[in-house]
Amino acid sequence: MMRQTSRKVGGKRNLIFIGTLLVLGLIVLLDIYLVDRILEPMGYFYLFFVAVAVLYGVYPLHANRRLTRYYWERTKRHRLSVLGLAFIILLVAVALIGPLLTQDPTRVNFDEKNVPPVGFTIQQSVYDLDTDKFLVREIPGTYQHPLGTDDKGRDLLAMLVSGARVSLQVGLLATLIAILIGTIMGVVSAYFGGWVDQVLMRFTDIMMTFPFFILLVFIIFIFGPSLVFIILVIGLTGWTGAARLVRSEALSLRTREFVMASRSLGASDARIVFRHLIPNVLSSVIVIATLSIPGVILAEAALSFIGLGDPTVTSWGMILNAGQRSLDTAWWVAVEPGILLFLTVLAFNFLGDGIRDAFDPRSQL
Amino acid sequence: MKRGGLQGYIIKRLIYAALIAFGVVTITFILLRLGPTSPADKYLANMSARTQDPAQVVAAVEARYGLDKPLYQQYGNYLINLARGDWGWSFSTSMPVIKLIQTHWVYSFQLILLSMLFAASLGLLIGVCSAIKQYTRIDYLATFFSFIGISIPNFWLGIMLILVFSVQLGWFKTYYDTGLPMFSLANLKALILPVITLGTGMMAGYTRYARSATLDNMGKDFVRTARAKGLPERVVIGKHVFRNAILPIITIIMFSLSGIVFGGAYLTEIIFGIPGLGRISFNAIFASDYPVVVTITLIGTLVVLLTNLATDIVYTWLDPRIRYD
Repeated sequence: MMRQTSRKVGGKRNLIFIGTLLVLGLIVLLDIYLVDRILEPMGYFYLFFVAVAVLYGVYPLHANRRLTRYYWERTKRHRLSVLGLAFIILLVAVALIGPLLTQDPTRVNFDEKNVPPVGFTIQQSVYDLDTDKFLVREIPGTYQHPLGTDDKGRDLLAMLVSGARVSLQVGLLATLIAILIGTIMGVVSAYFGGWVDQVLMRFTDIMMTFPFFILLVFIIFIFGPSLVFIILVIGLTGWTGAARLVRSEALSLRTREFVMASRSLGASDARIVFRHLIPNVLSSVIVIATLSIPGVILAEAALSFIGLGDPTVTSWGMILNAGQRSLDTAWWVAVEPGILLFLTVLAFNFLGDGIRDAFDPRSQL
Repeated sequence: MKRGGLQGYIIKRLIYAALIAFGVVTITFILLRLGPTSPADKYLANMSARTQDPAQVVAAVEARYGLDKPLYQQYGNYLINLARGDWGWSFSTSMPVIKLIQTHWVYSFQLILLSMLFAASLGLLIGVCSAIKQYTRIDYLATFFSFIGISIPNFWLGIMLILVFSVQLGWFKTYYDTGLPMFSLANLKALILPVITLGTGMMAGYTRYARSATLDNMGKDFVRTARAKGLPERVVIGKHVFRNAILPIITIIMFSLSGIVFGGAYLTEIIFGIPGLGRISFNAIFASDYPVVVTITLIGTLVVLLTNLATDIVYTWLDPRIRYD
């Protein structure tokens, strides 16, 4: 019974997915040629992300509740990975709701510059207009700026919340693009073999030779920074590892009996690829996706840290950059975004490790 | 295996590497031409201050650099210039790019070399110890710290090191001192923080690989045989396990160049103001000094390519079991 439903889902799912892609593509075309601005560019990414998450994440998990419970039980045994997941959920909530509650992260106020976080007090020399002298004054942290302010008086809490949103956007969306390209490349390469495999894998080798971060810097230098473009570039350059992994998995699947059986029953190439190969590599794809999110988040943070990020949004890397310049006057500006970045990366690494062990039937948990 | 097979294999690897290099150079060219601004515009940014008419400057630049020629000719010239070492002129520093690279590569080299030595020696030591004492407190501690080392953003680690050891404690300078002689203790001291910054992430990665590679070999039959015939544990680990575990670890170390090492070195140089290739490229980006950025990207990629090739060839010499068909 369960099997029956999941099968039906499998067939329709790809159709729905392709349909969604077509509709999105149509809107993009309309957007470019006929009407101006139906959606912000980010909107397309979100719709795309939601479509993939629902069709290939939520729905199969819901349809196979028994399997879902089994994997959850196995993941749960890694206490750290549950902790990681909790942190990620918290961060997503903060990124979604936070910007509504905090102050404007770009509001500059020089009267309140370099205010320390609550509980700290620093000495600052302030120019006094009446006496025409520099006075050393004690400045305590205030609850109005619980995490302090930077050298332009911007509220750090608001900046960090905005940074969380940027990091998650880049981390999730760029990884999604990279993983999709990698999966398609890997499956096609393994299934068709021959010269297709040769061409795709040689291209993968070339892309792998470029040092990832230096290639990113190079492309952003040529094309200019914007958040959408950074997401695209990371997605379009970061697929090589996934392609290699999926190819090797699919190569071993291709010779298995159930694929042979399907082919001898007259199944088409597309059917074998979509119904047999892709669903069976999905678990490794999920693992490699989770484990590559931290690298992507770090890459974006590093880009904005060196000043190649989107200048219109506040990201953690950008705050770190400001923090390095005011290390001797306001240490907290460099410390706070770094801790968040570190915890986020750690959380995804823990979760990825937990999922990997849960999906690996050989691991004894 | 015959000698000829090995030579044939090496020749095949060389040809393959040459093809990859060609692909890398071609992709770089395509990216350059796909860009929204033509190379002439980037030159213009640097030259228009000196003349009146921008259109004239563009025409002059296009003629000078052959940008008015058809694309295939441009591509041909680009390849020829690359091969001849004519990598263009750096506007922001007013010297040929090749000269700029010649003066600055050594700073990157010393940073990367020292960091790799630091990371590889400590990483191997901790990884092997952790594997020998599997499921003890030492092992858990090592695993925990390697997790932290992998997750800590290295540019943030660098800033924190500066904050604690340079700003608060005043043990080191906040900036790398370029006036020091290369082979001196003072230079080594100036490189301590940068090496820790770049090396920590690498070390954590190597620790994990060393641990798993050692564990893989600990369960092998030949190790059981060695133990059964009464060899001391020191010989079993040192000779039988370690020698077999070291090969995959060497590969991992070499292949990490393209990912964590070069990206990390780029950022480390920027944070500490070390005038290596990363810092030069960073300065060039903000000066729109286009030939420098292109050349450094290509050099980084080709160095990765050559190390991969060298790893492949050294492997054949280190491990006589590998067969090449």
